[in-house]
Amino acid sequence: MGRLRVTPRGFAGPVVRFGVPFAALVVALLIGAALLAVSGSDPIEAYRTMFDASLNGWTPLTRTLALATPLILTGLAAAIAFQMRVYNIGGEGQLYLGAIAASWVGLMLPPDTPMVVMLSSMVAFGALAGAAWALLAAIPKALFNADEIITTLMLNFVALSLMNYLIFGSQSFWRDPQRTVPGGKRLPESAIMPELSGRLHFGFVIAIVCAVGLWWVLRRTTWGFQIRTIGDSPSSARYAGMSVRMKTITVLAISGALAAIAGVSEVSGVSKGLEPNSLATDIGFTGIIVAVVARSNPLGVVPVAAFLAAIATSGSRLQGIGIEVEVVFLLQGLIFLTVTAGEFFVMNKVEVVAAEATDASNESGTELAGAT
Amino acid sequence: MNDSVFILSIASAVAVATPVLFAALGEIIANRCGVMNLGVEGMMLMGAVVGFWAGIETGSLTIAMLAGGLAGAGLALVHALLAVTLRVDQTVSGLSLVIVGGGLSSFIGTAGEPGVLSAPNGVDVNPLLPEAIRDLPAIGPTLLGHDIIVYLAVVLVGATGYVLYRTPAGLAFRAVGEDPAAADAAGIPVVQIRYLGTAIGGFGAGLGGAYLTLAIVGTWQNGVTAGAGWIAVALVILAGWRPWIALVGAMAYGILNGLGFTLQLAEVDIPSDFLKMVPFVAAYVVVVAISASPTRARKVAAPAALAQPYARESR
Repeated sequence: MGRLRVTPRGFAGPVVRFGVPFAALVVALLIGAALLAVSGSDPIEAYRTMFDASLNGWTPLTRTLALATPLILTGLAAAIAFQMRVYNIGGEGQLYLGAIAASWVGLMLPPDTPMVVMLSSMVAFGALAGAAWALLAAIPKALFNADEIITTLMLNFVALSLMNYLIFGSQSFWRDPQRTVPGGKRLPESAIMPELSGRLHFGFVIAIVCAVGLWWVLRRTTWGFQIRTIGDSPSSARYAGMSVRMKTITVLAISGALAAIAGVSEVSGVSKGLEPNSLATDIGFTGIIVAVVARSNPLGVVPVAAFLAAIATSGSRLQGIGIEVEVVFLLQGLIFLTVTAGEFFVMNKVEVVAAEATDASNESGTELAGAT
Repeated sequence: MNDSVFILSIASAVAVATPVLFAALGEIIANRCGVMNLGVEGMMLMGAVVGFWAGIETGSLTIAMLAGGLAGAGLALVHALLAVTLRVDQTVSGLSLVIVGGGLSSFIGTAGEPGVLSAPNGVDVNPLLPEAIRDLPAIGPTLLGHDIIVYLAVVLVGATGYVLYRTPAGLAFRAVGEDPAAADAAGIPVVQIRYLGTAIGGFGAGLGGAYLTLAIVGTWQNGVTAGAGWIAVALVILAGWRPWIALVGAMAYGILNGLGFTLQLAEVDIPSDFLKMVPFVAAYVVVVAISASPTRARKVAAPAALAQPYARESR
């Protein structure tokens, strides 16, 4: 019997960097298939139904991309923070703030405002609101090193209650008094994202522009280089004279703004008014999965978001063959888990070595802790 | 505010505090041996659905609670595999537990006939002490009228503190969390202890989740914990990893959480959405305040090797 030998990789080539997460996706789908089989469903039929509902044909594809639009943005929000080893778990709340602010602008400005002016004001105000909400966590983080995971997360619950209050808990400016079931006032035509095809709307273009823009900033500018350096080693970045504090604030503000634009895109392109129930669907949280699976690469975020959206969009179709929608959450979780585990195989080379070779090789490698 | 309102709100605060306290105690143990597990919310959800299901199937509170605890521990072992053996980022691994726990619990919730999701509670949770004692004025309904699990939680607070700080096993646990390399050199099995600590942490979260569905909510719903797991994570930091302070913090959470109920009875009119914010705003404020405090209490108390993976060769 051989033993496992683990050696840290100095540098992971593209085959490893792309291959491992891809293999992890396959493993997740296999585990999902096993769980489906155990619960008495036919996994092959389930996956074929999911494929047909989400990717097979133009209409399913546009539906998938429409769902991917906010996920790209919340994925980018999580990714830029990850690049600096800062954890913005508050995408959910920042998205609500963006939606609240954008719908306020859309309802406040005269309905005959030109669409370009209207939509850009909504994006700008929404982004500002999300950035401001993120600053509530960023400033304590920069000044006192207050744990941003906890603060951003707590703020999610506050933002959710705030949004619920505006629609369900009061006769606010946002709520439509005409409707018996509480809901938001409908935005004027000028405040609704133009349709591209089917359900796909202009928000998708905004998301792609953000992805490319963020990629360019992180890869091609000094500022982006500094962010990545801080992520790799905060102490050496500080030694090189970079202001870690200021960048923590800026990065979290940008992150909050990106998540908020997802909220703007949803109110303007999908729900066409502030509708808490269609906004509070874990878009912010799923963005974290997107960023992890994409290994925080802004360009990688786009296909990963589309893939997760494809799983999500087929949920309703699964019910037709007697499988509960919950499978969608299960698969998303499994993907997150296997890709996270896969990170080990990106960072380390694992080989099976013959037993007698182990002693000689001990200087460079170690056995897998706990696996022996 | 009259007496009965006060008494009712304290009684409900104790009940609401219990699941968070279980989860926080578990997290303290995991953190003490150096493993940061942010997946409490997911582990609680697993405990909540499996515990509730076991209650329906067996009708036994003991079995239901144990099943819930084991479900939480099972998910925690996934975190141990990722964080201890594969040494991936513990924050990301913990978050993945939240998502997996959420997904898997809602998937399990659809199982069974007529389905855990719509089934009525399978167990009765009764007060522990005889009626004569429960009828004592003031302390009767507030402190003596609870079920056995509430008292078990309080006993566990003492036990956790005692074991961690007064026994050789506790010393080994803390050593692994403070300086795993030194602990390793002293012959303490670092990896095994971290696995054990993570599993105990998950067991605590699972117990909390099971208590939540069995004794407080009385049904299973997707995402029934509604942030309680995150409150537990925050509570551990706020309590500076000390079990007794966590007990106080959990009670404070219970009171804040029940504030709406209390104010309603006292006929004070505050929108319920604002009341729902209160525990989360409080946790936010306290986390920031503690970080900003000049004494740096937080830094002193945190296990030195918290969230740091241990690999022998990098010693």
